[in-house]
Amino acid sequence: MFKKFLVTAAALTCSAMAFAAPVEGTDYIVLDKPIPNAQGTFIKVYSYDCPFCYRYDKGVVPVIKQKLDKELKFLDYHLHTKGKYGNEGDEVLATLWVEDEAAGRDPVAEGSMHKNAKFALYKAYHDQKERWDAGADAFIKTALDAAGMSRADFDAKKQDPKVQALVKAWKDSTYDVAKIQGVPAFVVNGKYLLKTAAIRSIDSMVDNVRELSKK
Amino acid sequence: MKGFFKDFKTEPMNTLARWQDTREPWLLFAITSVLLVLIAHYVFQDWMHMLPCEQCVYIRYGNLVMALGAFIVAIKPQWIWGKIAGVGIFLYGLIYTMLCSWKLIKIHDAVHSDDPMAMFGLQGCSTDAKYHFGLPLDKWAPDWFKPTGDCGYDAPVVAPGVELSDLQRWFIELYQSTDGWYLIPQWKFMDMAECCMLACVCYAILLIALLWAWVRRDFLTK
Repeated sequence: MFKKFLVTAAALTCSAMAFAAPVEGTDYIVLDKPIPNAQGTFIKVYSYDCPFCYRYDKGVVPVIKQKLDKELKFLDYHLHTKGKYGNEGDEVLATLWVEDEAAGRDPVAEGSMHKNAKFALYKAYHDQKERWDAGADAFIKTALDAAGMSRADFDAKKQDPKVQALVKAWKDSTYDVAKIQGVPAFVVNGKYLLKTAAIRSIDSMVDNVRELSKK
Repeated sequence: MKGFFKDFKTEPMNTLARWQDTREPWLLFAITSVLLVLIAHYVFQDWMHMLPCEQCVYIRYGNLVMALGAFIVAIKPQWIWGKIAGVGIFLYGLIYTMLCSWKLIKIHDAVHSDDPMAMFGLQGCSTDAKYHFGLPLDKWAPDWFKPTGDCGYDAPVVAPGVELSDLQRWFIELYQSTDGWYLIPQWKFMDMAECCMLACVCYAILLIALLWAWVRRDFLTK
């Protein structure tokens, strides 16, 4: 009797595991052009001008991060080709990212300058329907005000080679990833792009990301 | 047309079978589908400053395919092969339009919902439209086929410096206040995607009735 129970339990465990394993083509795609230097990372390619990105960033990504924080490094790659101020978004978000890292803060964690600015842009665009008709300076001001950085400070810091390198890294890979199925796009280890439409729950997303991160 | 309704009351199936042998219903299909695209472009996009999203431009493509199919049947409705080919193309366009509308309905619900889990199983808009058969429609006519809006959001967005007439301003402010277009804005009843779906359902019902009347007369009761 006990033996039978063990066999059943083992079979169940196996089938559950087989069920959980992410399937290439269904749950994820292997990128033809992987994002360089991205082993051990969970990259989110997104735009401030994207309703699903805002929603994922608000309700899903923080929960995923909490569960996988010890296993993976969470990175944001802003997409310059979407939205009127895509390029300005790159500059200001990259500057704040570098500033956070220099101060030893996690740029995607609560209270960081980068996160404050990103959410100020999201909220302005999606909740308040702000379109920054006054121009790029108004857009940058929304971000800087939320982060608590002055314009002069920003103008100086955006020249930093570290910031320039980060902007370049984003520009080099975001569009190629985004054109496959749009944004947000989640990439594990720089190679495995999750199929967003196949994400059914937070738990299954965590399981799939964890499995892919071991590949 | 008056005779049509009178005949329809007394012998509906035969009347429909006779009607589908004329150009009328097929031209009705073709012209109304083209009209929907024209309204989408000139009224909603140009006049009311509502930006088309990825699914919206696919729906335009689907509508035009339907029009093409219906025009093919209308060349000579009695010609069976023309009817089969035309109806085939029409059906492909219709089903594709329905799939896109269905997707857009779900996206619309998800982006307007407070539940972050509502978007699971869905995908936001792609940055690039991908048309069937690799058609570069967005390159040929970007004004008509390049998506510029966000899926699920269709509230008017007026670029700075645009002069609006009073009537235009009234409509634009109305749809901005309801955060998108609705058939009856006060009740948020029937969004754009639902109206597209409704149009498709009307087409489908009429098409099925016509085809059934035709098949019944020419192939079943002989």
